[in-house]
Amino acid sequence: MKIITRRTFLKTTGKAAIAAATVPGLPWGWYNLARAEQPAYFEAEFGITDKLCQKVLAAALSKGGDFADLYFEHTIRNWVLLEDGIVNRAYSDVVLGVGIRTVKGDQVGYGFTQELAEKPMLNAASIAATIAEAKAKKPAGKLMPMKLKNYYPLKKLLTSVPLESRLPLVQSVNDKCFSLSPLVAKVSAGFHDEQKRILVVTSDGAKAEDLLPKTYLYASVVAEKNGKRERAGWNFGGRREFSYYTKALRDELATIAVNRAVILFDAVQPPAGEMPVVLGPGVTAVLLHEAIGHGMEADFNRKKISTYATMIGKKVAEPFVTIIDDGTNPNMLGSLNVDDEGTPGQRTVLVDNGILTSYMHDKISAKHYKVKPTGNGRRQSYQHYVQPRMRNTYMEAGPAAPEDVIKSVKKGIYVQDVSNGQVKIGEGDFAFYVSQGKMVENGKLTAPIKDINIMGNGPKMLQNTTMLANDLKMNQGGAGYCGKGGQAVPCGFGMPTALVKSMTVGGVRARGGRG
Amino acid sequence: MKKEMYDLAAWAIKVAKSAGADDCRASINRRRFVDISYRERKPENIKEASTRGLSIEIFVNGRYSGQSSSDLRQDALKDFISNAVSTTKLLAKDPFRTLPDPKYYKGRADMDLGQVDPDYKNLTPEARHKTVKAIEDSCLSKGGDKVISVTARAYDSYLEEAVLSSNGFEGYQEATVYFTTGQMTAQDEGDRRPMGFDYAVSMRRKGLPPPEKIGAGAAKRTLALLGGKKLKTETIPIIIENRNVSRILGGFLQAMFGRNIQQKQSFLADKKGQKIASKHFTIIDDPFVKAGLGSRLYDNDGFATKKRVMVDKGVLNEFFVDWYYSRKLGWEPTTGSPSNLIIPPGKRSVKEIMKDLGRGIVITGFMGGNSNSTTGDASVGIIGHLFEEGKLVQAVAEMNIAGNHLQFWNNLVEVANDPWTYSEWRTPSLVFKDVVVSGV
Repeated sequence: MKIITRRTFLKTTGKAAIAAATVPGLPWGWYNLARAEQPAYFEAEFGITDKLCQKVLAAALSKGGDFADLYFEHTIRNWVLLEDGIVNRAYSDVVLGVGIRTVKGDQVGYGFTQELAEKPMLNAASIAATIAEAKAKKPAGKLMPMKLKNYYPLKKLLTSVPLESRLPLVQSVNDKCFSLSPLVAKVSAGFHDEQKRILVVTSDGAKAEDLLPKTYLYASVVAEKNGKRERAGWNFGGRREFSYYTKALRDELATIAVNRAVILFDAVQPPAGEMPVVLGPGVTAVLLHEAIGHGMEADFNRKKISTYATMIGKKVAEPFVTIIDDGTNPNMLGSLNVDDEGTPGQRTVLVDNGILTSYMHDKISAKHYKVKPTGNGRRQSYQHYVQPRMRNTYMEAGPAAPEDVIKSVKKGIYVQDVSNGQVKIGEGDFAFYVSQGKMVENGKLTAPIKDINIMGNGPKMLQNTTMLANDLKMNQGGAGYCGKGGQAVPCGFGMPTALVKSMTVGGVRARGGRG
Repeated sequence: MKKEMYDLAAWAIKVAKSAGADDCRASINRRRFVDISYRERKPENIKEASTRGLSIEIFVNGRYSGQSSSDLRQDALKDFISNAVSTTKLLAKDPFRTLPDPKYYKGRADMDLGQVDPDYKNLTPEARHKTVKAIEDSCLSKGGDKVISVTARAYDSYLEEAVLSSNGFEGYQEATVYFTTGQMTAQDEGDRRPMGFDYAVSMRRKGLPPPEKIGAGAAKRTLALLGGKKLKTETIPIIIENRNVSRILGGFLQAMFGRNIQQKQSFLADKKGQKIASKHFTIIDDPFVKAGLGSRLYDNDGFATKKRVMVDKGVLNEFFVDWYYSRKLGWEPTTGSPSNLIIPPGKRSVKEIMKDLGRGIVITGFMGGNSNSTTGDASVGIIGHLFEEGKLVQAVAEMNIAGNHLQFWNNLVEVANDPWTYSEWRTPSLVFKDVVVSGV
């Protein structure tokens, strides 16, 4: 998972011009789209009729293919950022366009346009059609709107909240951080909101619309003590409304960010080598996501490049381990009412009491494996292909008490937070940076640790998960993205306290000492 | 398109000023690209499209905002810009936020950077498919019976950007970019399926290696991963392969940026003029490399670019300081970001160096990890090979190196003669002594 900063985003969009269009004739800024929640949004705002969709789908299937789909997107993003005590910059970005896909077996033709008009759409469809070389195929004669459950209803559109209301959110976090400790030297903070409206139309006649909100509030703190500096941060968010960011939450955010920076002054680097690792509840699930989850995405298995390619039905973990990928958790960052190719949001059991039971599927892999799609077909934007991707991935709670898990370790580390994870799908090997943690010595948490890496192997880590506690915690962050194949999508995750009996810890010293 | 793009940028500035902006900078960009990949000897993905966009930065009453859009029709843009100006007025005043002093725009080099391939327009769909097929064929052939999966891909793009500011800046840049890559997954012992790849990027099609070489390179690099295992923790010399140096160098560079210095997030903030690395460590920022991927005549602020020696034989000479943070720091600005970064190559090949060192680890990839720009501490996973008596003897996986940049670069003992040219960062392989590589 990586946090995409606005700076990175601007670089990406500026150089490659990935960002898309504004709405013709609509006022710019913190948009007030009064009709955003009504059905048939794209028809009302942009004249996208069923007839037009069917004409474009017919063009996409003009050379045959198994199916085609259209993905319309209108996204409005805003950032307000604070530095040196003042909210002194704001950015906005509007994405508008349609992606047109023709699928033949596992082959994909793809075109897109930023102009929601017949001619450019037909042109994009003709590019998509080139993947097939057979007789034209007709799309379904009638489009049927899908009825979807809503896992992230909005009482108030994000776009209807004025800029003036956003500024105090950020300012108050900054002020709270400075009030908490004299060691705080610098604070940067920001609020981001995104309101994404999509319409998926498929050649088999399905039509699904969704409105996906996403917000987060973050703080990054630099603390100074005796000439040394440390930096840490935190964020809260998800598919949340403005009302989520109460004073209590903002104060909690500031407290966590400050505490995380200040504790690093006392942190040591643990000895390097193999040792037991206790994963704390919540955000350590990034490890589950990266080291295990990616290997269970069906495209990697369909191509036989995942280490899990031959393991369906086999024991991959102890019987107390159950792993879920879920699009239905209320307001979680990875929740989806419908995926980006028209499959309704759902809960998928990947590992059931230690047995690998399912991969995460999009339509292409589901057809390959002769199973139903699991609602994991996702894409970054209308400019991107669909890939099987995680939603909210978590390990269900186990039988142990968290304190017993810690007590069981004579010498090892307790990981509270990890970042910058990377995994090699084919081997299952991974590496993670431990941003917050503690030493475990004789069953007790002792000195804080910092600036180390943990390395291991996903399947081995799963097999080596020998204790699992009853304290499942879902992460409440909103700034995390998962990257795959050049695409970033928001994902959520959760984890109970867990013991991995052996992992490589990369500190600076050879085995034998600390401090 | 150049004139149309300039006209649109000029019009956008006019609209912003009439809506109350004191100053603004507008840029218009366009891109056309084709992206083709093959797997199992047939196209896996074919994608082609054009994009366009406007970015505008607005300065009003000492306040600042930035917006982007790609609807370039004037009626839509007019509302877009006018509303941007109104909302910018609601932000806090920032006395440091202005357009740059125009004196920094002056002195722009008058030269052709050679970033447009004259043959781009002649590139046919057939030629693209032929390239990708050749990558796949070559990889399959060299990978032999170890192959589980091979994906080959070719991407090409034509980009243009025109930039204008209300205080007299004017700039236009166009470029072509070609990218080819091959990726292979091989069967190893048990369930291990290592994946390796090769790639090249160039602004000229002729600047790319033959597609067969990319395919064969992907196979060779993948097969080299077979049997990878974790070794005992050891203090040992390492050689970081040229194409992978950027991962470690990038962590060091974070501490050279004006924002990190001003925000107290730089371990180099007070080290200007000091020796912070061994004499073998020199970094040159050279914006004038012919057909260089990072070449430019002006930077993001519009400053006329200059060649700069950032680190000279281990002494920190310069920082990357843009206009805004130069004002916050009270320093003279340099440039906000690197162009082409060059570490001057040494005299010996990696092979000769390995022979001389006897035993060590060649690092051919990194995994995860972190580099802390505030403290300089870093920790990263490595993939590579143990060599003994100058020869590769064992593939290495699941190991880690950690340390602090201020100490690490002092251990740089040699620079090889093999700069990696398919990147904005032209880095040769680097040799470090006494590095703790942790494993079992």
